Amino acid sequence: MLTQLLSPSTLVFIALGAIFAYSFYAVLVAGQLSLAQAGFAALAAFSAVVVAPKPADVGPWVTLAIALVVGMVVGAAAAFVLGLPTMRLRGVFLAIATLAFAEAVRILIINMEWTGGASGMRVPKILTPGVAWFLLALVAYWFWRQGPSRHGRALEAIREDELAARAMGIDVGRHRMLAFVTAGAVAGMYGVLWAYFVRLLAPEDFAFGTAIDGLVTAVAGGSTMFVGPLLGSAFLTLVPELQRSLGIEAGWVRPFLSSLLLLLVILFLPGGLASFIPRRTPKVTPPRDEADGIPARFERRQHPAAGETVIELAGLGKDYGGVHAVRDVTLTARSGEVLGLIGPNGAGKTTLVNIISGLIPSTTGTATVLGVQPGKTPVHKVAAAGVSRTFQHSKLFARLSVLDNVVVGAHLVSKPTLLRRLIWLPSARADERAALEHAMRCLERVGLADKARNQASALSYGDQRRLEIARALASDPSLLILDEPAAGMNHVEADSLSELIGSLAKEGLTILLIEHNVGMVMRTCDRVVVLNFGEVIAQGTPEEVAADPAVVEAYLGSADEEGAA
Amino acid sequence: MQQLLNGIFIGSIYALFAIGFTLVFGILDQLNLAHPAVFAVAAFVGIELVEVAGLSIWVALPIVLLVGALLGVLIEWVAFRPLRGRPDAHFAGLISSIALGGIFIALLQARYGPDTRRFPADSFPDERYTIAGAQVTLLQVAILVISIVLMVVLTLLVRRSRLGRGMRAIAENPTAATVLGINVSRIRTSTFALSSALGAVAGALFAMNVNSAQLGMGSAIELKGLAVIIVGGMGSLSGALVGGLALGLAEVFAVQYVGSSWRDMVAFGLLFLILLVRPQGLFGARRVREV
Repeated sequence: MLTQLLSPSTLVFIALGAIFAYSFYAVLVAGQLSLAQAGFAALAAFSAVVVAPKPADVGPWVTLAIALVVGMVVGAAAAFVLGLPTMRLRGVFLAIATLAFAEAVRILIINMEWTGGASGMRVPKILTPGVAWFLLALVAYWFWRQGPSRHGRALEAIREDELAARAMGIDVGRHRMLAFVTAGAVAGMYGVLWAYFVRLLAPEDFAFGTAIDGLVTAVAGGSTMFVGPLLGSAFLTLVPELQRSLGIEAGWVRPFLSSLLLLLVILFLPGGLASFIPRRTPKVTPPRDEADGIPARFERRQHPAAGETVIELAGLGKDYGGVHAVRDVTLTARSGEVLGLIGPNGAGKTTLVNIISGLIPSTTGTATVLGVQPGKTPVHKVAAAGVSRTFQHSKLFARLSVLDNVVVGAHLVSKPTLLRRLIWLPSARADERAALEHAMRCLERVGLADKARNQASALSYGDQRRLEIARALASDPSLLILDEPAAGMNHVEADSLSELIGSLAKEGLTILLIEHNVGMVMRTCDRVVVLNFGEVIAQGTPEEVAADPAVVEAYLGSADEEGAA
Repeated sequence: MQQLLNGIFIGSIYALFAIGFTLVFGILDQLNLAHPAVFAVAAFVGIELVEVAGLSIWVALPIVLLVGALLGVLIEWVAFRPLRGRPDAHFAGLISSIALGGIFIALLQARYGPDTRRFPADSFPDERYTIAGAQVTLLQVAILVISIVLMVVLTLLVRRSRLGRGMRAIAENPTAATVLGINVSRIRTSTFALSSALGAVAGALFAMNVNSAQLGMGSAIELKGLAVIIVGGMGSLSGALVGGLALGLAEVFAVQYVGSSWRDMVAFGLLFLILLVRPQGLFGARRVREV
């Protein structure tokens, strides 16, 4: 029965289905839902068949090799061209735009002369199961090696939280585009293989339903683990075959059972079929030898010398409609300083740090931070200049482990490893190791080392704040912005956080601390700036600020009002 | 003129189909890909009611509407509710609704077989009018009127009723809505019921208009529904109406002036342009990103 089940053509269909599913996997790992793959495959298939020489003239191997190269280049190029305008779209919008592209391609092919129109082209069948599975193995190998590389981790981070990924210095646009072009190349490979297997190549082979099948295969198999597409394809190809060999008659029963199984997989196996396979998490213990905490293998950062200006804001303002969230703020922060930023709720503190870290542009005034101008510079370049931050509402990479969150934080200082991983260079392994150890050390500093293997979303609120700090520290920043780090911490935890900030400042780090816990700010900071209604109402040493009547008024209300009431 | 009217008639069906699509997306932020299956099921059920049970079309349509609402409840219970709270609910919802749609279609095939079915010839009075030199059948007028009435009722429901207020609250912030004592589960179910009810009527009307129903009729309109809600703006009800009519007109004129093989290109070209130039659609509001 097994031989009947696994006939050569079934084997080829499993391999083809899996390769096509990998082209969806390539973007799903980065959280992008694209349906353009059928279009890439169609363009690749038709152009490769036209360009490649006939197998009768040069032999099947040469034909297939040339066609594969042509197809993958066409697929990747099409993805790049489509990606230029569409990569800024998100979620369902991207899905529909790419779907529109795929449909447009199909209509175009139907209406062209050289493609044979709606009836398609005759193509010799030269694909054998061996070749199909060999190519499948290559594709699967690529994604296996990509997984824990720096590139792979960056893609996962983008999937989990794009904004946080940007703030970690990941060039989101470039990574998304790379993932998309990879998807194009893999889809192109699928198109060519399909063409040289089915004998008659028709535009209908690449219709909407094909794209949906590819997506379903990738998601049902599991879109977070590299074996997912393969499992998905085996499952979805074998279920109808199994039904046939069990003597279940054609008609409605087969699609019914296939759909039912798919529904069950989606509902009860959140990670797809791949969740049956246990994940290994590496055990890492931080070494004790490196004194300054930055592994020798990492890129070295140039930190500003003590006393140099780090933040320079002049007349900075931000309006939302008629609301002045921040108004005419002028302040400087020098290297090695712990600057506190306090003020009542709605005073504009978070708006100000969002401007400093480049997330939102200011309406008026200028900001210079570590030599770059946030607002005019992309967020990841601001991060690359040495700015690292935590968020008021935790923006962790929820489905990644605590350790992996911090490894992503080290994106800017660690080295790219994907290409070296593909050929098993030992230096790549050493770099990965160094990144893990460095992350572990950062976790130790905030006291989270024993939770390194937990999932980030499973942490308590206070622990999530600490993980944010560890992740921000991992990039070896020159300026660390902490947006209400002590929120949700008890006073013991807040005290140890205060100590940590002190020790970081001793190492020369500049820290901008936004906090509601005024006592902690007064203990920790060298200098304090007070904001109210978007304006700086006082700045100076903690003592000066505490004694300032304007500050007392902002926090407690004015004595006159009290008297009048 | 004839083309204009034809465009409006077919466009009103597109709009009715798309408005159900966009309702679920606008309020629950999920795309229900079982919607096209409801469209097909409704057409077959409508034919069955008229042909076998011998009901008048005017009795059959409300029943189709109810059947659609029930399917909507089923879709929410089976394909969407179990996913709530899962981080991948967005993708998983797409797939689970595709799977459930597949089950619907398989069951439809079990009941009716794979062949095309039609309404009995005399199920609708064949009256024709001439408006400004263009031929219009009573059926077409009925389709237009039914579509518009349903859309107006839906809009009023969302704007004015308690249910509608709950829906808009959930669209704004589901957590806050729960805290405020709004029964989110019930409103989700109601939203799906409303959405599918409209999709079902659209299916029956479509089957009457082209006088045939096939198993695959849902997938053919699915892409157009997506185009309409993008053009009109995701989640915008009035946008879906305008988008549907615009698509219907664009198609009819494309056939006239460019040729029928390019007809679908118009929809996708339009869609693509809108996405690039104005991703929030013609009537959608841009969402502010929060830090």
